[in-house]
Order: sequence, then C-alpha cells, then structure tokens
Amino acid sequence: MTKNRLKINIGPQHPSTHGVLRLVLELEGEIIKSCEPVIGYLHRGMEKMAENRTYLQYLPIVDRIDYLSGFFNSFAYCNAVENLAQIEVSKRSQYIRVLTMEMNRLSSHLLWLGTFLLDMGATSPLFYTFRDREVILSLFEELTGQRLMYNYYTFGGLRHDVSDDWLDKVGDFVKIMPKKIQDYEDIITNNPIFTTRTKNIGVLSKNSTLQYSITGPNLRATGIRVDYRNSKQETGNKEHNSHGLGYLVYPELDFEIPTAKTGDSFDRYKVRVEEMKVCLKLISQCIDWLKSNTGEIISPIKQHLLKVPEGEFISNVEAPRGVCSCYVKSDGSGNPYRVKWRTGSFYAVQILPKLLENTFYPDLMAIFGSLDVILPEVDR
Amino acid sequence: MMKKSLKPFRDIIALALGHLTVFKHVFKRPVTLEYPEKKLPLNDNFRGEHALVVDNEGKLLCTACGTCQRVCPSFETIEIEKEKNESGKFYPKNYTIDLNKCIFCGNCVQYCPFGAIIMTKEYELADEKKSALKLDINTLKKNYSDSIIKKTVKSKR
Repeated sequence: MTKNRLKINIGPQHPSTHGVLRLVLELEGEIIKSCEPVIGYLHRGMEKMAENRTYLQYLPIVDRIDYLSGFFNSFAYCNAVENLAQIEVSKRSQYIRVLTMEMNRLSSHLLWLGTFLLDMGATSPLFYTFRDREVILSLFEELTGQRLMYNYYTFGGLRHDVSDDWLDKVGDFVKIMPKKIQDYEDIITNNPIFTTRTKNIGVLSKNSTLQYSITGPNLRATGIRVDYRNSKQETGNKEHNSHGLGYLVYPELDFEIPTAKTGDSFDRYKVRVEEMKVCLKLISQCIDWLKSNTGEIISPIKQHLLKVPEGEFISNVEAPRGVCSCYVKSDGSGNPYRVKWRTGSFYAVQILPKLLENTFYPDLMAIFGSLDVILPEVDR
Repeated sequence: MMKKSLKPFRDIIALALGHLTVFKHVFKRPVTLEYPEKKLPLNDNFRGEHALVVDNEGKLLCTACGTCQRVCPSFETIEIEKEKNESGKFYPKNYTIDLNKCIFCGNCVQYCPFGAIIMTKEYELADEKKSALKLDINTLKKNYSDSIIKKTVKSKR
C-alpha cells in the first residue's frame, strides 16, 4: 500500500448495505482502487439445518432464506421434493402458485425501488413504494396468516384455497397499480439527478455477467434474454443448461421478457420497472383463470409421514434476484440427505470487486443498490 | 449540437413533472395508523399466540398424541406430559409451548388430527422476563377463552 492510499471499512452495520455486508475498500482520493466484500455475518446454517429435520419440518425454515420473496424459496424446495417423490400438483394449485409468486416478485421489486432511491438520497419514492407494497402484504396476510414468512405451499398442493372475495381484492389492486407505476416513472426515469448518477455507471458487460453466473434482471439488463419462466430461450452461451425451463403453467400464459442494452445501473432500474408491469399482466391472467375454474387444492398425501425415494433433483426458479436453485438429495429416509441452495444475490456480490474498480466513492452505493442484493440470501 | 442545447429544457420539464407528482400527494389522506392507539383489523387466518381448544364440558380436545411435536421445525418447543384418565384415554397433564423458540409457522395447527390447537390474534408478546414466554397448560386454556370473548364481542359490533 502506497502513502496516499487509504484503506477503509464499509459496514458490517451500515444502513445502505441491505443487511450486514462488509466492504474493505482501498481509496486513492475519491477513486476506489480495490474492493473486497466480506460475507458471512448472517450465516444461519440453512443447508445443514435440513439434515436433522424431516421434509415437512424444514419447509417453514425455507421462507427465511430470502425474506422478501419467501414464496420462491418455498416453491423451489417443494418442487424438488415433489419431483423426487413423484407427487402431482393440480392445475388450480399451480395457478395459485404463479399468482402468489408474481405478487411476491412485485412486492420485492417495489421494496428494491424504494431503497435504491433512498441510497441515492431520494426519500419520497420510498414512502410511495412502501404504501403499495403494504397492500400486497396485507393481501398475503389475509391469505396465509403472516406478512413475510408464509409457509403456504405444501408438498403437492397448498394449505387452503383462495376465496373469490380475495381474488376480487387482488383484481382491484391490479387495476390501480399501473397508475402508481406511472407515478414512479414520472418522478424517477427522466430526473436529471437520477440519470446522471446511473447512466453509464456500473456497466456490466455481457461477457462478465456470463463469467460470473449473474442471473435475473441484472443479466437481462445487458441484453441477454434468459428467463426460466420462458420455455423458449435465446442464450448467449450455447452450453447453458436448459433444464427446468417453463416451469408451472408459465408456458400457457402470455407475457414478454423485458431486456435492456447497455447493462448500467439505469438499465437495471428500467428492466425491473418493466418487469413489474409484466407481473401485473400475469396476475390478471391468473385471476381470470382461477375465477372460471375450480379444482382440488389440498394434496391427499400425509405431509408429516412423507418418505422420499432415493435420488437427487435440482429445481430452478426465476426469483426476483436471479435464478434460485434447490438441490435435494434423498437416501430414502424421512430426512433429506443433503440440501444445497443457489441464490442470485451471492453471485451479484462476487462481481463487486470488478464492478467497483476505478469508480468514484459516491457511486459505490448507487452501483451496489442497483444490483439488488439481499444479504440473508448471500449467507443463508 | 441541437440535442445538447435542448437538454436543459427537458431536464426542467422532467423535474417539474416529478415535483408535481410528489405535490399531488399533499392532498391525499394518510395511509398510516398511529399504532398503539389504533390497530389494523386482523383476519381469522392470523398466526399469533397459541391456545388449546376446550369443548363445552370444559375438557381439552388434545389427546397428547405428539403430532405437533413431530411437525414443529424447532426442537424442544412443545413439551407434553402424557397421562391416562379413568376411561383409558390419554390426556395432557401438562402442555408447554416455548415462544422463545417458536417461529409461528402454524404447522402444529395445520397438522393436528383433532383440531385441538389454534392460533389467536394476540401478537404483542413482549415481556420483561423470558419465563413469561413459556406458556403452560393453564395459560393456553385461558388464551382460548379470551379469544372466544374477543370473537363474540367483535361479531356483536
């Protein structure tokens, strides 16, 4: 280290690190010369926990991996167990799973939008996004009993059916939401302060995203149209694994996958806002189907006596922060032999040293915020 | 060159539009509640403090089968002392739930074969002592009668 280099710590307790991330920075004046993320402050041993619990006992814990999008983790684990034990899921429960997951994605993106702008000094959008997120959370509370830790999915179905009354409420919400999203765009998208702080800053190239296994909106912002919800893929990498594409009833639904071109902070914002609109589109399609069709929800298998035959399975889900994969290995007993999680945020943190090199110190939080990292998901 | 000269005007328009959108909210009603004085209504699905169901004769529905222990994700949260009555049926002599360990997942309620345990709408559980969060059988019975009173009062309104 030379004389004029300064080594400083950001975090672990820092309001903008979205949890407990420690960044060891080397500064030369205002320019970041190197950055080393230190993770592990929120490690709870989620993977080891599975090994001395039954399949059902582990299910409520799964929601806590990423507390902002619990349904996705829950689905990834349920899907893996269902495939191993060959349990069928009825069409109606699949539609409800899609409906709840898309609402969850919307609430997660809303929270990201508010905190991202708060990182850059804008306070009003935070209150607006929290107000709209509150509507989704109270709908979830009505359906599942809690606001964040839902524990709503079971192996082969759901805990209980949705009522028409509840669907009507969701329908009302979907009707008012486009206007609210337009409001955010009016405030944010063309704001000169916002655009100068995000355009051409924190640029992720196509190559480096593929090298670092970045997925989700961060990848789509660079122009690569990879989304596990869509069964037709257009990947830059030919070796890309096409396993588990178009899961649930997504192939039956009509939606497009938004992408951007340059891969800077602004594009990541733009992709997420467009994704919110796609969520609304998917939600309204699900409501229409659920209102006109009935079916069985509760699965006939005995959840607490479930024994899974020997084998292994990886299920992939397109979570709000990238692909969330759950690997379950079973040895034929009532407990999983091994559970492994792959979450999008972990890879987004790994690219920080490359992304932050030779950028200005005040841009640090703008770039880090745009990646949408949630630390409990990184450490698990 | 033309584009560059237009940029300040576009910025001013964008800023004005943003400020106008924020200003519109001045005339809207607040969406927040002053919490300790006012509370949001909770629905029946809400997962709060536990209660053991008592039937009309004052007997517990619980048969001390231990299913709730087996489905609970955290260990040693529910402890049951089993005993036989005169007619040869099992009943819980003591039943404790440790709320320090409970994660309020609702598995015990969902998988109870007799519907003997429910979750009330009580969520303000803070206390000075840790031991106050260990609910024994009498507290759990009392929780149930309290929740019934609340339900009937609510329906009268």
